[in-house]
Amino acid sequence: MDDLTPQPKDTQLLGDLTNAERDMLHDVGFEDEATRAGTSILADHEMRVALSNDPGVEILPLNVALKTYDFVQSLMFGLVDPEENEHIRLVAEHMHDPLGHFIWVKPGAKVKLPVQSFSLLETPQGRQFTHDITLIDEGAEVEMVSGSAVPGNVQKGRHISIGESYMRKGARCTSVTVEHWGPEMEVYSYGYSQLDEGASSTSTAIMMSPIRHHTSRSVSTLAAGAKSASQAIVFAPEGTERVLATETRLAAAGATSQDIARMVSAGGTIVNDAVLIGDAVRTNGFLGCDGLKLRDAGEIRAVPQLRARAEGTQLSHEASVGMIDGEKLNYLMASGMDEDAARDLIVQGFLELDKGHVPADLTARIEEIVAKAKSGGM
Amino acid sequence: MLEISELCVDVAGKPVLSDISLTLQPGELHVLLGPNGSGKSSLLAAIMGLPPYRVTGGSIRVDGVPVNDLSLRERAALGIGMAFQRPPSLDGVTVSAFAGAMGAGATLAREAAALDLSAFVARDMNVGFSGGEIKRWEILKLFLQDPRLMLFDEPESGVDLEHVIAIGQAIGRITRTPDGQGRPRAGLVITHTGLILNHVEADRAHILKGGRIIHSGDPRAIFAHIQTHGYTVPETA
Ligand SMILES: Nc1ncnc2c1ncn2[C@@H]1O[C@H](COP(=O)(O)OP(=O)(O)OP(=O)(O)O)[C@@H](O)[C@H]1O
Ligand SMILES: [Mg+2]
Repeated sequence: MDDLTPQPKDTQLLGDLTNAERDMLHDVGFEDEATRAGTSILADHEMRVALSNDPGVEILPLNVALKTYDFVQSLMFGLVDPEENEHIRLVAEHMHDPLGHFIWVKPGAKVKLPVQSFSLLETPQGRQFTHDITLIDEGAEVEMVSGSAVPGNVQKGRHISIGESYMRKGARCTSVTVEHWGPEMEVYSYGYSQLDEGASSTSTAIMMSPIRHHTSRSVSTLAAGAKSASQAIVFAPEGTERVLATETRLAAAGATSQDIARMVSAGGTIVNDAVLIGDAVRTNGFLGCDGLKLRDAGEIRAVPQLRARAEGTQLSHEASVGMIDGEKLNYLMASGMDEDAARDLIVQGFLELDKGHVPADLTARIEEIVAKAKSGGM
Repeated sequence: MLEISELCVDVAGKPVLSDISLTLQPGELHVLLGPNGSGKSSLLAAIMGLPPYRVTGGSIRVDGVPVNDLSLRERAALGIGMAFQRPPSLDGVTVSAFAGAMGAGATLAREAAALDLSAFVARDMNVGFSGGEIKRWEILKLFLQDPRLMLFDEPESGVDLEHVIAIGQAIGRITRTPDGQGRPRAGLVITHTGLILNHVEADRAHILKGGRIIHSGDPRAIFAHIQTHGYTVPETA
């Protein structure tokens, strides 16, 4: 037990990162630890870094957190049943020694610098089962950058993750996540979040790198007056299959949500299964999914579902899937652009992020990452 | 520069233009007048090579090169450019990204101010632009493209009086200055209001009606005639 006693809580550095690791993480948003309020890095089967520079943020390996704070055990599997499905059962079975982080933003903390957390899979054919818990406490405000990365030689592997995130009353979080897994990998990520009264979450997901299969399921429940806005940009080249399944439940009066997905298939398959549930009065939700199909191969399937279960809930969706608009293409070509350049410009524009959803001080960095992802993925 | 001879054009299986003949010398600016639906935009589209307009007879030559069988892209490469009447909106594609892709970043910085569009460089192309802003952008776009034969489809309709001056001057400037390779340009302008004539010296005007050119002559005289007699052939002609 002694060896698991946490160090002074604002400096929990476990190991160091190699330059190669820093480089690959940099592509998905990593910055030097000193410039971040906190850093959590998981590499293969160990928590490599769990470090905080801000008294308002505590970052611990989950196994340490469970022993340090009694309340963490009730957060674990608090939002999802360990028997929910075979993947989650698989992760739950590893819970004698859980792998993942616990990030706690303390009540009322207004965290200035972003908190960053990343996963690295460094062993070809590696298997990773992780469980992360994030608690953004009452009235706390934070920006988060997260992502995943693999070295160039990792093609195959399997990663299954569970994330449970709790936003307490009035908490605010703006987050960006960039994934970059190996092209032959299979990834299943399950994210569950609970937004208490008046909590507000704005999230951006960038999923552009080739991957054999990725199922990304996210379930959120919004209490009274809670607000959630999410945007995802998704790209699938040939050989990539991405399944996005989201479920947003507007559980109490005044909850609002806006979910936007932009999907481009260049021969790959993208499924977007989005369910929006209005369970209470004065709730308002919007689902938007737009798909652009660049080749004959592959498929885009958008299945927005609205379930109004209370009087006074206002739910809507917009979905469109199609080829590049010939009129736009002609307009650009009439200006002298060749067809490929014109297509590129239109696709890049289609995958443009809504800057209003990205933390202001991260905008330039995110643009750089997206540009890199676009040039690498396409 | 542009020689159109006995041109016939179909759209959706119906003829829209018949027996059009028209010649633009280098450095010239011509005006195309005509009632709604007379085929003015169709003529510009046929020169540019935009679908769905189909040439069924006659020829279009640019600098002696027959363009009938050239693609849109090849015609643009030959130096044909067009300010659209109703351009599409391009979500996510900023004016500056477009200029960058065109290799015309420096031109953008220089010309945007003249058309009062400096504040637009970060905006998505045509997205949420007002009617008049679209018109100004389409002219700015031609500066970025640097074409030799310029087709202006109603560049001043819906534009306020002050900006008509800016547009008129810009059209005059681009028409009268040689292209990037020092060659003279030429332009064909569609107008309903004739306002453009107050700011740019046009060499010749043509009245298009029912898909045919019914009269050609001095721009001011023809415009004065139309104002009193409509789109008819002047008797003295
Ligand atoms: N894509 C199309 N499909 C069907 N009909 C078309 C198409 N484009 C043009 N037309 C028809 O051809 C005729 C000429 O149209 P055009 O747009 O050239 O007129 P215009 O002279 O530019 O008119 P306006 O002054 O209203 O702009 C019209 O009757 C129009 O409805
Ligand atoms: Mg017209």
